[in-house]
Amino acid sequence: MNNIFGLALIIVTGFIGAKLLRRVHFPAVTAYLLIGVIIGPRMLNIIPAEIIGFSGEISYFVLGVIAFSLGENFTFSELKAAGRSVLWISILEAASAWILVTSVIMVYCIITRMPLHPALVLGAAASATAPAATVMVVREYRARGIVTDMLLRVIAIDDAWCLVLSALAITAASALHAGAFQATIILHAVWEIAAALVCGVIVGFGLHYSSRFARNQEDIYVLVLGVILTIVGMSLMFSLSPLLAAMAAGVVIANVSKKGSLYFDLLRNVDAILFLGFFVLVGANLEIDVIPHVGILGIVYLLFRVVGKIVGVKLGAMISGSDPKIGRYLWWGLVPQAGVALGVALSAKALYPRYGELIFTTIAATTVLYELVGPVCVRYGLRRAGEI
Amino acid sequence: MNSLLSAGLILMLGFAGARLLKYIKLPSVTAFLIVGIIIGPQILNMVTEEIFLASDFFSNLVLGVIAFSLGENFRLEEIKRGMKQVMWISVVAAVGVWLLVSAAIVIYFIIIKFPLYPALVLGAAASATAPAATVLVIREYRASGLLTELLLKVVAIDDAWCLILGAMAIAFANAMRADVFQTAHVFAGIGEIVGALIIGGFMGYAFSSLNRFVKTSEEFMIYIFGFLLFNVGLSITMHVSVLLSSMMMGLVVINISRQNYKFFEVLRTVDAPLYLMFFILAGAHLDFSILYKMGIVGILYIVFRTVGKVYGAKLGARISGASKPVENWIGLALSPQAGVALGIGLVAKATFPDYGDYIFTIIAATTVVFELVGPLLTKLSLQKVGEISSLE
Repeated sequence: MNNIFGLALIIVTGFIGAKLLRRVHFPAVTAYLLIGVIIGPRMLNIIPAEIIGFSGEISYFVLGVIAFSLGENFTFSELKAAGRSVLWISILEAASAWILVTSVIMVYCIITRMPLHPALVLGAAASATAPAATVMVVREYRARGIVTDMLLRVIAIDDAWCLVLSALAITAASALHAGAFQATIILHAVWEIAAALVCGVIVGFGLHYSSRFARNQEDIYVLVLGVILTIVGMSLMFSLSPLLAAMAAGVVIANVSKKGSLYFDLLRNVDAILFLGFFVLVGANLEIDVIPHVGILGIVYLLFRVVGKIVGVKLGAMISGSDPKIGRYLWWGLVPQAGVALGVALSAKALYPRYGELIFTTIAATTVLYELVGPVCVRYGLRRAGEI
Repeated sequence: MNSLLSAGLILMLGFAGARLLKYIKLPSVTAFLIVGIIIGPQILNMVTEEIFLASDFFSNLVLGVIAFSLGENFRLEEIKRGMKQVMWISVVAAVGVWLLVSAAIVIYFIIIKFPLYPALVLGAAASATAPAATVLVIREYRASGLLTELLLKVVAIDDAWCLILGAMAIAFANAMRADVFQTAHVFAGIGEIVGALIIGGFMGYAFSSLNRFVKTSEEFMIYIFGFLLFNVGLSITMHVSVLLSSMMMGLVVINISRQNYKFFEVLRTVDAPLYLMFFILAGAHLDFSILYKMGIVGILYIVFRTVGKVYGAKLGARISGASKPVENWIGLALSPQAGVALGIGLVAKATFPDYGDYIFTIIAATTVVFELVGPLLTKLSLQKVGEISSLE
C-alpha cells in the first residue's frame, strides 16, 4: 500500500468511526483513538510504516497548532477578570494531584519496601493534562461558557506547572536515589519554560510584523503555518517546551494584532483534519498491551490523580472566588492525560535504570486508559455544566 | 535541523521569496522554484532528507488537488459551449509539437549517425504541459477571460493526449530498436486513460452520493481530503493517471449537483501552503548540473517545442474559430513543462537500457528551462490578451 492510500484510509476510517460512535454519544476523539488502535500495527496493521514513522513530527505539529490556538484565550482584557482564578486553579490542581498521588504511592512503597523515588516522579506525571483531547471535545460540541473558557486557559498553562513539578520531582528523586542534589535540573526546567516563552514571544511579534506584507488570507495562512512549524521545530532543537512556545506566540497575536481573530479562524478551518490524523496516529501508537501491567500502583495512580484534580480545582475556585459552577465541573475536563505525562515518564526511564521501567509502564498504561476515558469525561462535565 | 523547522522555513522563505521577486514582476511559481533551488541540496541544503523523501507524496497530493479543481471547469453547459475549441487546440498543439520536435531531432540524428528512436520519445515528452504551474499563475493574477477559460481546460485534458502520444512513441521506438512492435505499450497507454476515467468517475459518483453524511463545516475538509487522497492512492496502486482520474472526479462531482461547488471553494481556502511546498520541493529537485549535458538536442527540443506549441495551438484555434487574441497567445501560455514530461522520461529510462538515460537527461534538462521560464510566458500571454487586470 502506498503512503497516500494509507493516509486516505486513516481519514476515511476516522470519519466513519466518528460518525458511528456519535450515535452512542462518544466524542470523536475517542472514535479516532479506537480506529487508530484497530488499524494500527497492533491489530490490522494497515497504516504504512512510513506514516507511523512520521507520527512524531505530525503530533508535534498538531500540538503546536493547538497550543497556538489556545493563546487566543489569553487576551489582556479577559485575563484582568479571570487571571487570578486561572493561576490559582491551575497551580492547585497540578500541585494537589502531585502531592496526593505522591504521598499515597509513598505509603504503598513503604509497605512493599520499595524505594521512594518512583513516587515523586509518578506524582509529577499525574499533574499533567492533555490539551489536545480537551480542545477537540470543546470544539466538537461547540461548548461555550465560563467553565469552558476557564478550562481552556487552565490546560494551556498546565504544561508549565507540569514541567516545574516534574523537574522538582526528578531532582528530589535523584537526591533520594543517588544521594546527590542536583539543582541544575530545576534550573534547566525554569530555563525550558522561560526560553520557550521568550522564543514564542519573539516569533509571535515576527509573525505580527511580517503579516503586513501579506496581501490576502492565503498569505496569512501560509505564514501562520510556517511560524508554527518553525517555533515547534526550534523548540525541539533546543529542547524547550514546544507547547509553551507556540502558546506564547498565540498570546502575542491575540493581544497585539488588530485582526488577531483572523489567524485563529484560519486555523480553525483546517484543524479538524489535523486532529483526526493526530488522534488516529496516537491510537495507532497506543501500547494497549501494557494495560494488564497497570497493577496496584496504576490503580492507585488512576484514582488519586482524579481525586487530586477535584480537590485542587475546588480549592482553587474557592480561594479565587470563581463561579461555583467552575468549582463543581471543571475537573472533569482535566481527566485526560497524554503526551506531556509520557514525556515525564521517558525522562524517568532514562534516569533510573532499576525502577525507570516500572515508572514508565505505569504512566503508559494509565495514559492509555485516561486517553480513552478522558474525552468522555470532558464531554460529561461540560454537559453537566450546561455548556454543550 | 529537524524536519519541522525545515518545513516551517520552507513556508516562510517561500512567502518572503514570492514577495521579494514580486518587485521584478516574477510570478510566485517562479519565486518558489528559485527559493527551492537556493535552499535545496545544491546550495544551502536546508531541506531535510525526510522532507526530500516526502516530495513524491506531496507532488501526488498536490497534482490530485489541482486536477480535481480543474474538473470544476467542465460543467456540462460549458462543455457544450466550448469543447470544440479545447479539443482542436489541445490535440493540434500536442501532435504538432510531437511531430516537429521528433522531426527536427531525427534529422539531427541522421546527420550525426545516431539511432533514431530516442527522437520519437523526446517528441512525445515535449507535447506535455504543466497544469500546476499554469493554474497557479492564473490564480495569482486572478486572470479571467476567454483565454484563461480555454487554457484551464486545455491543460486539464492535455495529459490524456500526452499519455497516448507517449505510449505510441515508446511502442514505435521499441519497434525501431528491436524490430518488434508491442501493441501492449499502446494499449497500456489507452488503459491508463480509460482506467483513470473509470476510477475518477466512480469516485466522483461516490463522493456525491455520500455527501449527505457531511453535516458540519469541519467535516467538509475531512471528507474532501479523504476522497482526494483515496482517489490518488487508488490511481497510483492501479497504475493509472493521477491527473486524469482526479480531474474526472472533479468533473463528475460538479456535474451531479450544483451544491457541490462548495467543496471546491473549501479546497481553495486551504491549498496555498500545499502549492508552495510543492513548487519549493520541485525547485529543490531541479538539477542544474544537468543543463550542461543538454547539447544540441536539448536546444532543438526547446526551440521546436516552443514553435510547435505556438503554431500548433494557433492552427487548432483557427480551425475551431477561436478569437484572434486567443489564437495568437494560447500557444505560448502552454509553455510550462513539468512532471508529466518527466514521467515519460522515467518510462523511457526503464524501457531502453541503452539510450534511456540519455532521453531522461534531455527531458530533465529541458524541464529545468521550461519550468522556470514557462510561468513567465504564461503570465505574459495572459497580460497581452488583457486578462490580467492592470493593478498587478
